[in-house]
Amino acid sequence: MATDLARTQRQNGFWREMLNGWMSILTEPNLDAFRAQKTRADPLKTVLGVGLLGLVLGLWALAIKPAALVTGMGTEAALVELMRMIFFAETDFFILSLLIFFIARGFGGIGSFSQQSYLLSLVIVPLGMIITAFLFVGEKLGLTLTAVLDPLSPVGVVGVVVILLALYGFLLLLFALQAAHEMKSSAVFYTLGAPFLAWGIFRVASMFIVGEENVITTQWFFIAEQWTKGTAQELLMGHLWLVAFSVSIAIVLGVTIGVFITWPARKPKLSHLSILIPLVLFLLLWAASSGLLGEGMADQIMSTAKDWSRSLKRIDNLYFGPLLEIVAAIIAKPAAVGMIIAVFIVILYALFLAGEVASDLTLYIAGIILTIPSVALFGAMIKPLGIGPFNAAFALILYAQLPILRNTYTGIKAVMPEIIEAGRGMGMTEGQLLLKVKLPMAVPVIMTGVRVSIVMLIGIASIAAYIGNDTLGRYIFEGIYRAQEKRYYAGAILVAILALAVDYFLGWLQDRLTPEGLKGRREAA
Amino acid sequence: MIKFENVTKIYPGMSSPAVDNLSFTVPTGEICTIVGPSGCGKTTAMKLVNRLIDATDGAIHVLDERDEMSNVLEMDPIQLRRSIGYIIQQIGLFPHRTILENIGTVPQLLDWDEARIRHRAEELVTMMNMPVDFLERYPHELSGGQRQRIGVARGMATDPPVMLMDEPFGAIDPINRNILQNEFLRLQQEIKKTILFVTHDIDEAIKMGDKICILNVGGLLEQYDSPANILAYPANEFVEDFVGADRALKRLNLVRVEEVMNSRPPLLQATQDVKQAVGFMTEKKIRFAYVVDAAQTLKGYVRVKDLKGKTGWVEEYLEPAATSIQLTTNLKDALSEMLVVDYANVCVVDGQNRVRGLIDTKMIHESVIESNAVAEGEEV
Repeated sequence: MATDLARTQRQNGFWREMLNGWMSILTEPNLDAFRAQKTRADPLKTVLGVGLLGLVLGLWALAIKPAALVTGMGTEAALVELMRMIFFAETDFFILSLLIFFIARGFGGIGSFSQQSYLLSLVIVPLGMIITAFLFVGEKLGLTLTAVLDPLSPVGVVGVVVILLALYGFLLLLFALQAAHEMKSSAVFYTLGAPFLAWGIFRVASMFIVGEENVITTQWFFIAEQWTKGTAQELLMGHLWLVAFSVSIAIVLGVTIGVFITWPARKPKLSHLSILIPLVLFLLLWAASSGLLGEGMADQIMSTAKDWSRSLKRIDNLYFGPLLEIVAAIIAKPAAVGMIIAVFIVILYALFLAGEVASDLTLYIAGIILTIPSVALFGAMIKPLGIGPFNAAFALILYAQLPILRNTYTGIKAVMPEIIEAGRGMGMTEGQLLLKVKLPMAVPVIMTGVRVSIVMLIGIASIAAYIGNDTLGRYIFEGIYRAQEKRYYAGAILVAILALAVDYFLGWLQDRLTPEGLKGRREAA
Repeated sequence: MIKFENVTKIYPGMSSPAVDNLSFTVPTGEICTIVGPSGCGKTTAMKLVNRLIDATDGAIHVLDERDEMSNVLEMDPIQLRRSIGYIIQQIGLFPHRTILENIGTVPQLLDWDEARIRHRAEELVTMMNMPVDFLERYPHELSGGQRQRIGVARGMATDPPVMLMDEPFGAIDPINRNILQNEFLRLQQEIKKTILFVTHDIDEAIKMGDKICILNVGGLLEQYDSPANILAYPANEFVEDFVGADRALKRLNLVRVEEVMNSRPPLLQATQDVKQAVGFMTEKKIRFAYVVDAAQTLKGYVRVKDLKGKTGWVEEYLEPAATSIQLTTNLKDALSEMLVVDYANVCVVDGQNRVRGLIDTKMIHESVIESNAVAEGEEV
């Protein structure tokens, strides 16, 4: 083996052998090319190759210095400069290689240090020289380094080529490490990624520790500042309560409608009508009268509610304020509330009667509501409902019902007919069938709908800040109006964290609510 | 007792009836299987009884708890269904409820207290030869056969006098189906329910039914009779085709070995003297004889030609018997067994392998002729 190697070296010459190594790697970027090169590993070749790269870098460094400086420098000083560059190239390369070597060992690598260094140098040396040459040419053409590296500038193509070469280099390094250590490709990725990640974490942590204000830290500092002031919590609770209030109404509404549209059409009963018609009439009448003479009363109710909310907030620092504000805003508008409840009662009873016949139409309309842009819906509701939580809650309820409604419908429809038939045949009434069989079996599907709704509402609730609600969206809008990046980033970060946290909690809740017997079935399937 | 009187069902929007002028009576304590090709309305006919479907015309009477015949159409459907056991294929179990909750479905609807439901469920699970700790499991944790047993137990939870079974063993593999059928027949001998049993499988209908009701497409009753009579005297060409060309063989299904065997067979004791044995066999004019020990347990057989001129004990010349038949085996299986081993006659043994009789092909043949004669006599 050794004699073979010596013979080839004698035949080809040492430098030619080295050049062949570089060429084979650059032209055949695959694992086998590296494995073939592994047998030719030679510390001398590594040292000389890296030295060559140092020389090229040194020349480039001299070349880009202002001409006056270079000519003013003696030959001796220039040589010292070059020697320094070569020395630094060597030390940097071997320190880096040693670091990677230890990390690779940690991930189960088995190669030797000299093999690994040789394979790394095969990638770094030629690519480093080519990239340097590109930069040198760009410089000589009278372009600055920044211009060359800016992909949008006229010579941006040079920058693109450099970036592509760097990416190609990264790929080749992955191959080199895998060939040197024969480990899993994921481990190779970690080996190369670990230093970068560690450096990144260290860098970001140090930013926070020394309080350095930059593009990464500034929004976090802003959040911390808002948190100490207490504004962030207030907005967070406002956001959560708006979503929670809307979703709880949407669940009742969506599940009810979803259940209604799964059963056959019914005939109206006198007993139903004798309750519903007076109720609807009363609501409408109330709405009309309070519109005429109730504004003073409404104001009073509102101020009372606000007092409650303030005192509650003061008393035990509970974050119920936003909820009370929503309730206060709603009871302050008796006309609108009366109208809305009356209309919903009529719609619900119509769906109760129509049942399955109305299922397609209902799902279709519910879907259409979701396509209305939220800003437009908030805007359209300003006139009847004013600005503030009532308007926001109304729109959010409309948005939230679709996933819940659709999933309730699908969940119930998916219960196998044999199971329903068995229940009916054993003497369950339709109500018992619904509560004991259909709904429990549909719970996992319904809960999925609820999860989708809630996460969606957390996003839309930010936009409710546009019509004066105290939600996290306020940071976003303030940021846009004041052109303060840190504000809208902070808002976005908080909304995203909230959505993730709530979704995680709901996942846990869904698991708890799913009947035990259905869980195992899912696993078995 | 379940009594159909001129029952007709026409689905809305259909011109031809699904069940057409159906009249028959299922006597108390018997199983009536309803069988027919698809579209014959057999399931519809069954669902008319517990009013999952309401009859268009006619009346169905069911014997209620007070031993009175009442017209189901005049009863509250919910109360009616709770008083009738309803058993469908195993997929009808509620997957989200434990076995206990499944079995307790109807008792719960009837507001039994928990202790009573649990007690009854334990009783039923034991009756189905399953351990009591199954009650805490979920249906998906059980095998298909076990689920079906639970389905049967669920139908029997309140001990209803009348039960409806809709292809209960349809989704089970043939081996387990056979086991379940036998188990259920044994159970029926104890519980003596009046059962309407729907199946599409004529073999199952013959095996399970005390009476068979054969329906044709459009819900027409073609024949209602006992399995033996239907096989011996199909009422028309349709029934003849439906029961199949092998109906003569199927009749063998209906007779058990113990009914036709020779229960006083010539047997030798293992400890008998050889010469004595040869004398015995010559006297009986048989070429071989089965050998038993003192407890009547089957040991094997000996041949005359092997014993002639020998001395010693019968034991020493024993050859093991290749097969023996259980008392409750039906004639068809017995015949098949005899054709396989090619013996002139085969031992009939009980559960403890004690010899109870002998059977040969001639006895089977005679029984067929005899039953023909009996059936003819009845018809005349």
